[in-house]
Amino acid sequence: MEHLAIEVKNLHKSFGTVQAVRGLNLQVQRGEVFGLLGPNGAGKTTSLEMLEGLVQPDSGEIHILGMDWRLHGTEIRNRIGVQFQSTQLDEKIKVREVLEMYSTYYAKTRPVWELLRLLQLDEKADAYQIKLSGGQRQRLALGLALVNDPELIFLDEPTTGLDPQARQSFWDLVRQLKSEGRTILITTHYMDEAEALCDRIGIMDHGQILQLGTPRELIASLHQPSYAELEFAQAAPDAAQFMQQTGLQVDVKPMHWMVAMQDPKHDLQQILTGVEALNLPMQQLHVRRASLEDVFLQRTGRSLRE
Amino acid sequence: MNSRIFFNQFFMGLKLYVRRPAAMFWMMAFPVLMLLGLGTVFSGSGEPGFRLVWSQADGSDEPLLQALKELNVQVEIVRPEDADVRWKNGKLPVLLEKINDRYTLRVNSYLAAQGMPVVAMVQQSFLMVQARANGAVELQRIPLVMESPGGHHDGPYAAFLLPGLLGLNLLMMGVFSICMVDVDLRVKGIYKRLATTPLPRHIYLAAQMLVRLIVVIAAALILMLVGALVFGIYNQGSYLNLFVLILLGTACFASMGYLLASFAGTIEASNGIANLVFMPLMMLSGVYFSLDAAPLWLQKSADVLPLTPLLKSLRAVFNDGADLASQMPSIEIMLTWTVILFVFATRRFKWV
Repeated sequence: MEHLAIEVKNLHKSFGTVQAVRGLNLQVQRGEVFGLLGPNGAGKTTSLEMLEGLVQPDSGEIHILGMDWRLHGTEIRNRIGVQFQSTQLDEKIKVREVLEMYSTYYAKTRPVWELLRLLQLDEKADAYQIKLSGGQRQRLALGLALVNDPELIFLDEPTTGLDPQARQSFWDLVRQLKSEGRTILITTHYMDEAEALCDRIGIMDHGQILQLGTPRELIASLHQPSYAELEFAQAAPDAAQFMQQTGLQVDVKPMHWMVAMQDPKHDLQQILTGVEALNLPMQQLHVRRASLEDVFLQRTGRSLRE
Repeated sequence: MNSRIFFNQFFMGLKLYVRRPAAMFWMMAFPVLMLLGLGTVFSGSGEPGFRLVWSQADGSDEPLLQALKELNVQVEIVRPEDADVRWKNGKLPVLLEKINDRYTLRVNSYLAAQGMPVVAMVQQSFLMVQARANGAVELQRIPLVMESPGGHHDGPYAAFLLPGLLGLNLLMMGVFSICMVDVDLRVKGIYKRLATTPLPRHIYLAAQMLVRLIVVIAAALILMLVGALVFGIYNQGSYLNLFVLILLGTACFASMGYLLASFAGTIEASNGIANLVFMPLMMLSGVYFSLDAAPLWLQKSADVLPLTPLLKSLRAVFNDGADLASQMPSIEIMLTWTVILFVFATRRFKWV
């Protein structure tokens, strides 16, 4: 059996003059949960749609479960599951009906009752899908991706817009799918989601993967284990004098400063001395460990939600 | 395997169609309401024939009244002040006035088409009265017969309307139930979601088409049932011929729907495009009234639009029992449209 679930070599795709994907390389192991992170417009969706066989690449190679879209389209479709960011269905279709309908499309299927139980939608089986809550609807969308008992599952920002409880129950489902040995490729805006679910993460921007690794590796690569955040009562003051005095780099935000610390023991003392000497109107000081968000900021220069 | 998917897709499609109240209203109830409404409004106030309102100030005019009766004109005599009120109401096509032995015929310019036959009858009667007064030999008259163009069935306006509505339903199915639904499915990403499954596209589209065909046939049967029960109008031709015409019309307007949909990027745009095509076709193709009074260039243009020949053939079959061979010129126009629309629609159809 092919040990790679996804293999992508030098993938390119342009729309008119816009180069959405420029030289994407990616290998996802079987049984792995792989997270693709990137700001809007980074090329995530286009990349995903090429992997799902919806968009033709301009050049490059894609192998899904060892197969080529151009030769084995139907076979690949039979063995993958796809969940879009928002899966819209006919308003007046019932939960059971849509699962049964999708089941007819595939050669191999899981029993609908089993899916309903897995998704905790037993009680909603005969409800119109439009009557479902946001979390239930996302679980149903995931259910549609599971009717064919897929080996590889694509999840595109599956928990965007869900409340914390609904996200937690969605994460539990994803963990269960992983424990069943399925491969999952997930894109997300949420760093905690990526840290909680992903074995490996690729940070994507400008149509390429900028950095690749486990969440732990990515954070370690910053060489800045922690951050100090200085909160001010009013607009954050100019930091030039402070930087000169302390030798620390300050990222000035509207209401606070962010100071990256390589050696917290030494740097914190510097900060407090600087604040004292310049008589800065600081109200609060927070110290936190570096997160994926910081990795992301540093690699792409923008926040994930921008 | 494929036939199982097809039937599953078909029954699911039919179920979903029936669950949409708006679609059911426009396809099933709207034509019936039009038939009941317009068929009743234009059925006249009683027996068929010619009616005249006569305003008389001073006593009756027996010889002219007698002559009008001989021509089967139903005369209603009213006083001048009442006549004035009714004339200003605008509902009278023709008003005959007699003031101080002088006759005047007033024809409502809005209702000239309705009024002119009555005018002719009045003039004829008046000539008869004069001839009799002069002691001339009795004048010969050309008999007048009311009948449908095919000469088979002297149905009321509802008989003209019903085949028109059968055809209109096919157009509505194409521009609303296909064009707007297709854009909706694409914009919402429902097609895209299906494209990630192994469902064969031609199976999906064929099932959708069969759903539409079943719906328009059901709508046609309901309309014909109401026509028979309420207005006593029956299909004079063969049901097979009607079916063939409906099938051809469905193919034509379904292709048109998919083609129009390919030009619309949003649901709003599809609404605009659908109405842009629907309105002129409905008005120009003679669904509700004949275009005989329109300028010739307009009639000639309307004749080559796809709906006009369809309605012509539907009326010929339904009202006059025509066979399809006699309808070949109309069928050829429809076939040409169908081929052109189908070719462009399939070339432009996008799944994702």
